[in-house]
Amino acid sequence: MDTFQQHPSSYRDPSGFVFSKNGILYRQVNQVFKKDFDLFVNSGLYQNLVAQKLVIPHQLLNENLTDSPEWYITLQPELLPFISYPYEWCFDMLKEAALLTLQIAKEAMNFGLMLRDASAYNIQMYKGRMVLIDSLSFEIYDETKPWIAYRQFCEHFFAPLALVHYLKQPLQNLFIAYPNGIPLNIVSAAIPFKSKLSLHSYLHLHLQKSIEKKQNVENKNSRPFSKQRMKNLLQSFEEGIKSFSFSQSTQWSDYYKEANLRGDYVSLKKQFISEWLSKLNFNTVFDAGANDGEFSELTATKSTYVISTDLDHGAITKLYHRVQQTNISNIYPLIMDLANPSPAIGVNNTERTSFLARCKVDVALALALIHHLALTNNIPFDKIAEMFSNITRYLIIEFVAENDEKIKLMTLHKKNLLTGYSLESFLTAFKNYFSLLDTKEIGDSGRTLFLMKKLNT
Amino acid sequence: MQHILLYIDPGSGSYLIQMIIAGILGVAFFFKNIVFAVKHFFHRIFGRKS
Repeated sequence: MDTFQQHPSSYRDPSGFVFSKNGILYRQVNQVFKKDFDLFVNSGLYQNLVAQKLVIPHQLLNENLTDSPEWYITLQPELLPFISYPYEWCFDMLKEAALLTLQIAKEAMNFGLMLRDASAYNIQMYKGRMVLIDSLSFEIYDETKPWIAYRQFCEHFFAPLALVHYLKQPLQNLFIAYPNGIPLNIVSAAIPFKSKLSLHSYLHLHLQKSIEKKQNVENKNSRPFSKQRMKNLLQSFEEGIKSFSFSQSTQWSDYYKEANLRGDYVSLKKQFISEWLSKLNFNTVFDAGANDGEFSELTATKSTYVISTDLDHGAITKLYHRVQQTNISNIYPLIMDLANPSPAIGVNNTERTSFLARCKVDVALALALIHHLALTNNIPFDKIAEMFSNITRYLIIEFVAENDEKIKLMTLHKKNLLTGYSLESFLTAFKNYFSLLDTKEIGDSGRTLFLMKKLNT
Repeated sequence: MQHILLYIDPGSGSYLIQMIIAGILGVAFFFKNIVFAVKHFFHRIFGRKS
């Protein structure tokens, strides 16, 4: 087992690549990048960024694990438990990633280096905060040159944030259509006139687009760039981005308030789940339809990490802020439509893996979710059971009976939706994939919790 | 659609753009600093009076 596998998303950069060998993830630095990488480490920039928790720490290994003639040094970065992508982030996560990128660029300049990449995919959530994961993103700073990552920063951060800010719509899904960043001409055409009155939006979106249109001519009379100009650019991005905001009130904001009115519904649910969890041996959790993470928090202290997804941008934003403000740093709040989870995209469709390929856990919670999948999205129980069986070993799932008030409301004008929606058909479908370990009625709410274990595990 | 590839020589496209934008920003930040300094000056005077 001495072969190594190059990571499918690590092909762009000639200065090194990410690979795995015997199940461990490494990053190779090539000879061609020796000078830049040495400065990154020896100048103190790396230490500085690690101390501020802005970059993922790594260990240096003086061992050529790939037998490549271009090898200079091998890094073993701290392993990220879970990878997520900007099309799964709420606005505030992308905004934090953008501000982090700018902060790192400014720090780098103080050490004689500069960020040569400004990709949103180089930022990941780690221990509750955004960090840069690519230690090969730094090159020796030449003050006479402009920022090589300028356009990438615009397309990965400035433009998508501006778009959401001005249109007041959650548009993270656009990253799936444009994995290399949102084209400026689209953003510039979509955002309203008032964006032209903002200096930073005008310069980086509208003016850039119009200059680009006019010139395909090379700029020959090149006056050198300067450090001050670079600082101005970074400051402008920072001011612009800090002024962008997006808050959408969640359609579930009153969910728990209302749910609490239903007697001891929530507290009983918590009690049953805690009892079951105390008997299970598990490390990782997926909370499907997490809302603002009340039940994710319940499991977070007992697990390595929790993937908490919800369709609702507002709920995930709320959870993200809670993760930032509390000590619970092992929750990954992501926006996800389980009727259409993130696909595999990019080169060969292997560059960014699908959500279902990344989400492999020991316990999945599907609380007050089944009726949304089965009724709102018309997904048959069998397909829902199949999805969960590909994700988890244990499943804690709540069944909402057809005479539930919420269901009556959902099917007010579509009575035929309820055909085939019953506890019996639910159990029949799930028993093809899971064995039933326990059942609890949640008080007199008419809702039932099931603990299931995947067959043949 | 025009699309400039990443990892290109910045001279071939975004160089001019960045020169122009950074130039405008230089002027903008210059005046902003003056406005800030003037505001600060008056704030100090009125601050003392009160």
